[in-house]
Amino acid sequence: MLRFIAGRLLTLPPLLLAVSAGVFLLLRLGRGDPALDYLRLSNIPPTDAAVAAAQRLLGLDRPLAEQYLSWLWQALHLDFGLSYVTRRPVLDDLLYYLPATLQLGAAALAVTLAVSLPLGMWAARHRDRLPDHLVRALAFVGVSIPNFWLGFLLVLLFAVTLNWLPPLGRGGWSHMVMPVAAVALMSLCINARLLRASMLETAGQRHVLYARLRGLPERRIVHSHILRNALLPIVTATGMHIGELLGGTLVIENIFGWPGVGRYAVSAIYNRDYPVLQCFTLLMTVIFVTCNLAVDLLYAWLDPRIRPGREAAR
Amino acid sequence: MAFPGTGFVRTVAAVMLAAALTGGHAAAGSPKGTLTYSWTSNVGPLDPHRYSPNQMFAQAMVYEPLVRYREGGVIEPWLATAWTVSPDGRTYDFTLREGVVFSDGTPFDAAAVKANFDVLLADRAKHEWLELVAQIRSVEVLDAAKVRLTLKDPYYPTLLELALIRPVRFAAPSVLTADGVRAPVGTGPWMLAETKRGEYDLFTRNPSYWGPKPAYERIVVKVIPDPTSRAVAFETGEIDLIYGGTGQISADSFTRFRTRGIGQTAVSAPLATRTLAINSGRAPTSDPAVRKAINHAVNKDAIAAKLLYGLEPRADTLFAPNFPYTDLGLTPYGYDPARAARLLDEAGWTLPPGGTVRVRGGQPLRVELCFIGNDAREKAIAEAVQANLKAIGIDAVLVGEEENAVEARQKDGRFGLIFGDTWGAPYDPHSFVSSMRVASHADYQAQRGLPMKAEIDARIGAVLVTTDEAERQALYRDILTTLHEQAVYLPLSYLTAMAVSRGVDGVGFGASAYEIPFGAMRPAP
Repeated sequence: MLRFIAGRLLTLPPLLLAVSAGVFLLLRLGRGDPALDYLRLSNIPPTDAAVAAAQRLLGLDRPLAEQYLSWLWQALHLDFGLSYVTRRPVLDDLLYYLPATLQLGAAALAVTLAVSLPLGMWAARHRDRLPDHLVRALAFVGVSIPNFWLGFLLVLLFAVTLNWLPPLGRGGWSHMVMPVAAVALMSLCINARLLRASMLETAGQRHVLYARLRGLPERRIVHSHILRNALLPIVTATGMHIGELLGGTLVIENIFGWPGVGRYAVSAIYNRDYPVLQCFTLLMTVIFVTCNLAVDLLYAWLDPRIRPGREAAR
Repeated sequence: MAFPGTGFVRTVAAVMLAAALTGGHAAAGSPKGTLTYSWTSNVGPLDPHRYSPNQMFAQAMVYEPLVRYREGGVIEPWLATAWTVSPDGRTYDFTLREGVVFSDGTPFDAAAVKANFDVLLADRAKHEWLELVAQIRSVEVLDAAKVRLTLKDPYYPTLLELALIRPVRFAAPSVLTADGVRAPVGTGPWMLAETKRGEYDLFTRNPSYWGPKPAYERIVVKVIPDPTSRAVAFETGEIDLIYGGTGQISADSFTRFRTRGIGQTAVSAPLATRTLAINSGRAPTSDPAVRKAINHAVNKDAIAAKLLYGLEPRADTLFAPNFPYTDLGLTPYGYDPARAARLLDEAGWTLPPGGTVRVRGGQPLRVELCFIGNDAREKAIAEAVQANLKAIGIDAVLVGEEENAVEARQKDGRFGLIFGDTWGAPYDPHSFVSSMRVASHADYQAQRGLPMKAEIDARIGAVLVTTDEAERQALYRDILTTLHEQAVYLPLSYLTAMAVSRGVDGVGFGASAYEIPFGAMRPAP
């Protein structure tokens, strides 16, 4: 097991190298010059001399390969450079904003699981009856609503019209309700549908029939024979949802003025703040890889058949 | 089949609902003595001599200039109470205000002024865009309250450029270093007390301020990047004031607030001009008849009323008449499609039978109209202009690109028509006109094809250094009249700032678009 984890972690450095080179090139393939954005934000007329001075200031006057290698060398020392816009160390800024995003993402994940699992079970239990129709309708609507639009709808209802919830900022629990709901709804609906289908499929399998024939109590059949097996696809899906949820927070943070990395990254995109985007991409890669690894471990724990190292022992 | 769960679902639903309800949020409103405002980002470290990420409105709260710019280009005393200019226009002697101290208690004197100039001039390249910095030969301390500024040329806009928010303002000598200020310590009415990254900046009143004390004790500036979220924040009472151009509040939101009577709304006098530059260096707009026809063909009143919600008045000239040297009584190009068509006919651009696009010598009358693709307003205006031009047989091809790409086109002249704003007070007209001589500006590119371009540039060079007021007026009249008659611009509207406030009295507009007159604001009784 340890070898499995170590092996997975060893793939991380080459992956990060590839991602960093890819992002570095992609950013520079696009048209436009960050020096112009820097001057626009500074209210300085973009004369040729001003552009040249800004390029020197931002280190954009050097050959591309040299820029990348010097960036890489510094990155190996955990120095990701200064943001073009805030003129502060990028890693420092990103780590400052990261907890807010993780808080939002974790809360959304918790809500997704806490709501989707019972909903899915409820629907499966009442197959083709009213609860099932309700859940399926909700799921259909949920996956169809873009999260930013849902965000604005929630603000219109709960902040502007009813004045129950604060429209923006980070503070107490009340600040989290709307952004979390907006981020979580889609994953929640997908999960509920998935669990319903998975449970119905498992319930029709032979081992469940045998368990019934053996006269096991219904509760135990549901818990040990259906749910445990039906949860496997949910674990996989949850791994994917983490990506979705973090992606969702990027948009939602802007709407709800949530001071997280997403908002920071979106303004960096707008201002062509290359150092921020490079570091942000790496940070997200690390988070994704870690989450996927965690999901795989959880999967192995739930289903001994696919436990790594088992095959070798067999 | 029986699954457990219904009870659990009910519990979760109940908990969620309870969380939503107990979060109960009453309409906030600011605590007494506090004005809550918002801006797209944090205000930055507030160094008076530096640019992004320092936000201009906040630099102006903490740091003060020697002289101030007032409506119509009037210069009034500020940290300097008086000044004399030598007859050759090269030496400025300033008398400094007595009894002014920085917010850390150190006195504001001639040595402090010189220390700030020294830091500034040590890095001239950074301020290359500002002619004044290049013009300064030396700064001398005459006595504790007198400073002498010596210039290379008799540069007339010296006082105007001393009035700018940056870079010629003053920080306490104790915080000055070669790498910028250690802390934001100025003489202004406000002090930056606290910054919470990504959330807010807090300003408090400077207790040792020499001038009239502001009515508010604190100003909280919340970070809200999105204009729609800002409008919601105002509507729900999270902020008291929205102030600025369309980056701060959309015309949609502003109009909604105004028609529904949500808070108080105000629109400023013209602050700058929204124009299209017409390229005289490229066919077919190299033909003056085409440029004039374009000017007559566009229905600006309709654009101002329908697309700009009546928030920006129609523009007839490159600069609004409320700027210095610009009230010249030039004859506007009125909306007259018939006349536009006649001009084109006379110039040999004729409609082929059954065609919709005019042709001359086998060349169709086609121009590229360039705008920022994701700027909904520019796009709408571009479409309206396109329709107006189509009506007289000009085929305008819309080119919507991102801001950066549009700037690149401005610099190298790859456009037929392109959006561009003038810079507003106190840069208009002198700095803007000055930039027309520089090849990397849309204005240079637009004027490049004019037979008298060299002459225009020579006059611009002369107007900036003449010491004779009558001569200066005559030169500006010449320059602006020529540009108007040559029709190298299609002025559309005058840009304005908007303000929406609740519970705040005295919300007015300054002479410059970048300075917010917080000092005049007070809590409504």
